[in-house]
Parts: sequence; structure tokens; C-alpha cells
Amino acid sequence: MPEAHATMANDEDLYRHVGKLTRQLHDALRELGYDRQLESAVGSLPDARNRLSYVSRLTGQAAEKVLNGVDRTKSELDRLASGAVAIAADLRADPVGIVASGRLMDFLDEVGASTARADAQLTEIMLAQDFHDLTGQVIRKVVTLAQGLEGQLVQLLIASTPPEAVPAAVKAPEVVAVGTDALEGPVVMTAGRSDVVTDQAQVDDLLESLGF
Amino acid sequence: MTTENIRFLIVDDFSTMRRIIRNILKEIGYANAEEAEDGQAALVKLRASEFDFVVSDINMPVMNGFELLQSIRADEALKGLPVLMVTAEARKEDIVTAAQSGASGYIVKPFTKATLEEKVQKILLKSGK
Repeated sequence: MPEAHATMANDEDLYRHVGKLTRQLHDALRELGYDRQLESAVGSLPDARNRLSYVSRLTGQAAEKVLNGVDRTKSELDRLASGAVAIAADLRADPVGIVASGRLMDFLDEVGASTARADAQLTEIMLAQDFHDLTGQVIRKVVTLAQGLEGQLVQLLIASTPPEAVPAAVKAPEVVAVGTDALEGPVVMTAGRSDVVTDQAQVDDLLESLGF
Repeated sequence: MTTENIRFLIVDDFSTMRRIIRNILKEIGYANAEEAEDGQAALVKLRASEFDFVVSDINMPVMNGFELLQSIRADEALKGLPVLMVTAEARKEDIVTAAQSGASGYIVKPFTKATLEEKVQKILLKSGK
């Protein structure tokens, strides 16, 4: 079967050629330092994943907090509305009796207590909106990571493609400065870290230990 | 000075957070507040009119909270101003830096109404306002 032999020989040549090109590309990338860049780009992905998980967790918690607050506020309002209907009926039927029995006064006291509870729930709902600030800071970091990754991949593409074959539109993205890099922003993973505080009590203890 | 007269400057790059802090201050009796979106805008306001208390974030573009704090402490007319940091920066070294740079207090986000109230009142008491 001479034809089959010829094909096998061609295949082997082809594999050898591809192998040689791969080796040359690998060596060239290493010489140019792109292997380290790629490694650092890939290394940034778990960080981005952790940050996005934090965003997902925080937005979920905020939504729960808001929905719970709304449920509690609505139940306070429902109780007040039905109480007012009952008191109005009693007032029409026996205006003197409802005052003398103290039921009107009890209801008015309950209005005060109930509106205070509803107000506290509204404050909780307002505070739950802090997720916008906290997740916003984290998302800005992820955008920076994505820009870095994109830049490194584009550089790699440009370096491994003959100049005439690089599409005109391909160029490294401009990295937009977002805030102060030295600052960390919200801590997305506290496990195993002793350099961060996890609540206000730890902040107060630290400051107190320093004499502040 | 009565609580209504105490004038606050709230500095944060997130408008939602400025609004939250402003609303809480109002709930605890301090309705006189203005806002700035970064340290530089805050300094312009602080130099243009009189304020009694600064509540500032740290991680902001243009000028961060540490730079604002240092500028305030270095300014003859502003150096005595109480500055409460309200920030997501939870590293111990940042808290120590803030304290050593002259912060009057440090609150880590997310925070509660009770925490903000306690720190504001403690600082006001200390500063004699």
C-alpha cells in the first residue's frame, strides 16, 4: 500500500513541523516574558471570582434585608389599619365607653409604638443600600482585573501574529485608573487573614490598644 | 452649640452612601449637613465656609481620605476639626495609619445607626461642641 505509506510519512512530517513551530512559539514567548505575563493574568482570575462571589452574596443579603423590612413594615401598617377600623366602629357605637374603658388610649399608645417599629424597619431598609458602595468598590477592582487580563491577551495575540495579519482594530485596551490601588476596599475573604478586622468591635479594640 | 447648629461635611464618592449617612445624622438630630464627592472637593468646601465635623470615606478617586485628613491636620484654620473615617478599609495597618494621621474615630463599613450615633456623640463630647 504505497499510498498509505506516503500519507503516514506526510502526517509524521506535518506533526514534526507543528511540534517544531509550537516549541519555537513557546521559546519566543518565554524570551519575551509573555509566559510570566500569562501566568499573572491567569493568576488574577481566582481573585476576580472571589470578588464576584462577594458581590453576589452581598446583593443577595441586601435584597433579603429589604424584603424582610418591607414585610415587617407592611404587617405593622396592616395592624394599625385594622385597629383603626375597629376603634372607629366602637367609637361610633359607644363614644363614652371606649374612652372610659381605656381602649382608645391603648390604641393610641399602640399607634406610637407601631410607627416607631415601622420607622426602625425603614432605617434598616435604608442602611441595606450600603451594598451599592461596597459592591461598587469591588466591581471597580474586577473591571481593572479584566482590563489587565484583556491587555495581556491582546499583547500575546499581537506578539504571536505576523504584523500584516493583526486586525487593525486589535490594540491593547487603555487601563482607566480607578481609585487608589494601594487601598484594598472591602475584604471579600476574611478566612485565614489576621491583618484585617471583621467588625467594629475589633476596630475599637485595636484603637484602644494603641491608646486612642 | 445645639445639635441643629453643628454643621457636618460628608465625604464619599458614592452618592448612595452620602445619602445614607446624611439620613442617619438627621435621624439622630444633626440635620445640618453638606456633601462632597472626594477629598479635593471637600477641601474646597471646608476652606470656603465653616464646618464643625467631617465624616469621610478613605478610598476615593482624585484625593483619598488619608490625604484629606493630612491636609486638614496641616491646615492652620482646619487642623482642629473632628474627622470621623467611615470606610470599608478593614486592614489593621490602615486603621493605625488613620489614627496616627489624626483621625478622631474610625468606623468600618457596613455599619449600624447605633455605631455612627455613638462615635459622633463621643467625638463631639471630646471636642467640647
